[in-house]
Amino acid sequence: MEQAIEVKGVSKAFGESTAIKSIGFNVKKGEIFGLLGPSGSGKTTTIKILTGELEASAGQVQVLGQHPAEFGSSDFKSRIGLLSDNSALYERLTVYDNLKLFCRLYDVPLQRIDEILQEVNLQDARKQTVSKLSKGMKQRVLLAKALIHKPDLVFLDEPTSALDPQNAAHIHLGLQKLNDAGTTIFLTTHNMEEAALLCDRVAFLHLGEFQELDSPEALRYKYSTHAFHVETFSGERLVIDNGPASADRIRELVAAGEVKAMHTDNPTLGQIFLKVTGKELEQ
Amino acid sequence: MSTRRISAIFEKDLKDLLKNPMLLIPILIPVILALTFDRVTRTPEFPPAAAYIIIGGLFAVVTSGTILSMMSEEKEKKTLRGLIGSPASLLDIVIGKSMVTGIATAASLIVSALIVGIGTFLNVKTLAALILLFLFFLLLGVSMALFSKSTAATTGLLMPFSFLFGFTPMIGALNIVPEDGIAGRALGQFPVMQALELHQGGSWTSLGVMAVWTAGAALIAYLCFRKAMKDG
Repeated sequence: MEQAIEVKGVSKAFGESTAIKSIGFNVKKGEIFGLLGPSGSGKTTTIKILTGELEASAGQVQVLGQHPAEFGSSDFKSRIGLLSDNSALYERLTVYDNLKLFCRLYDVPLQRIDEILQEVNLQDARKQTVSKLSKGMKQRVLLAKALIHKPDLVFLDEPTSALDPQNAAHIHLGLQKLNDAGTTIFLTTHNMEEAALLCDRVAFLHLGEFQELDSPEALRYKYSTHAFHVETFSGERLVIDNGPASADRIRELVAAGEVKAMHTDNPTLGQIFLKVTGKELEQ
Repeated sequence: MSTRRISAIFEKDLKDLLKNPMLLIPILIPVILALTFDRVTRTPEFPPAAAYIIIGGLFAVVTSGTILSMMSEEKEKKTLRGLIGSPASLLDIVIGKSMVTGIATAASLIVSALIVGIGTFLNVKTLAALILLFLFFLLLGVSMALFSKSTAATTGLLMPFSFLFGFTPMIGALNIVPEDGIAGRALGQFPVMQALELHQGGSWTSLGVMAVWTAGAALIAYLCFRKAMKDG
């Protein structure tokens, strides 16, 4: 499959300190790739290198088949979308006027404004001045701005961090629809549930190095003890190994009608992250 | 270069300017200055040195001041990053953002010139000088905006630069530096002084000196823009 992003041995140093240490990964076209890690782990630096805001100190980068020297071209810019903590809106202008500017800069018909406002659940806010919007609403306008030109590849840095669960769910649906339409999504998030829900693959970045890179399911399987947790009606909580010897024990409990609940031991992405890095995730 | 993108940036800036009265006030300053000077001077013809104090001040306060405020606000509030990240080129952004400043400058200049006597400005040499002054002060404002770290810091930069480049004829008039000393002779080469010389019948060389100043300002603005494109 064609690659949207190819990174080989990329490092980035700022003076004496190294933010990224020789990382390498590919993101396939049409994939949702999650980069997970605490603050200072190198997530933003990675996005900045991939969007041409920063130059890598070493290694090779290709995004949508282009080398960093071509990242400044109008053609490349019209194929990518970016929502980061550096994204901002014109506070004195209305939501509509903000999006109108970017429609015209990206050569997109103005009808797209209503379409994208519906996607981010902001149809009723089109005439509101940005300065009067809540933080969550501003975040949704920023997301609309990043997606207004239907980019081939979009970089989303914490897209739902300021949103309530209802609006976050709305955005998740919108991102899944966008991905179904063929857009590749590069996502950074602290929200492990969000990563598990949306991402085809995730990478754990810690102190500038990749600790793990695989699908959420594969990671959960890898870090599972594969034991069964059984809760009986008498209140007992049993941990039974997954193996031929345990089959009789489980059969006995089921036959006796004592099993109240039974599940396998699959850790969450958050638990895996803690195990891999030994570091708390930022909330 | 894309006229569609330039007009999009212009339209956005115009809407933003009209909602920001603080940026409209400087446009009136040269007009008030012209009215005051007109009352004070009792000669039939407005003295050229006084006219160029108004014109220099106008370009410094309106041209540099407007573009400086707009650009530094864009930089501080990180909206400039959105423009840089869009398909708009550096030239699209600079021209688009300069158009509102151009309208503000033209409005202020025409009214001020009508007060001090517009007739003396209507010749090719003077009009060419005014265009070069506009470009020089525009690029100076862009450079200061992109160079400074915050909107507050731009004020600190604007004051000395406005005085030095905008009010150069006043420095001479107040005898702050001896006219025939090194500093005095250097000040004589400054853009507004060259425009004044041209106005008083100087040669085309003055226009050449002004063009060099403008080219220097363009180079500095370009370097500052390159840095801003990397820093956001």
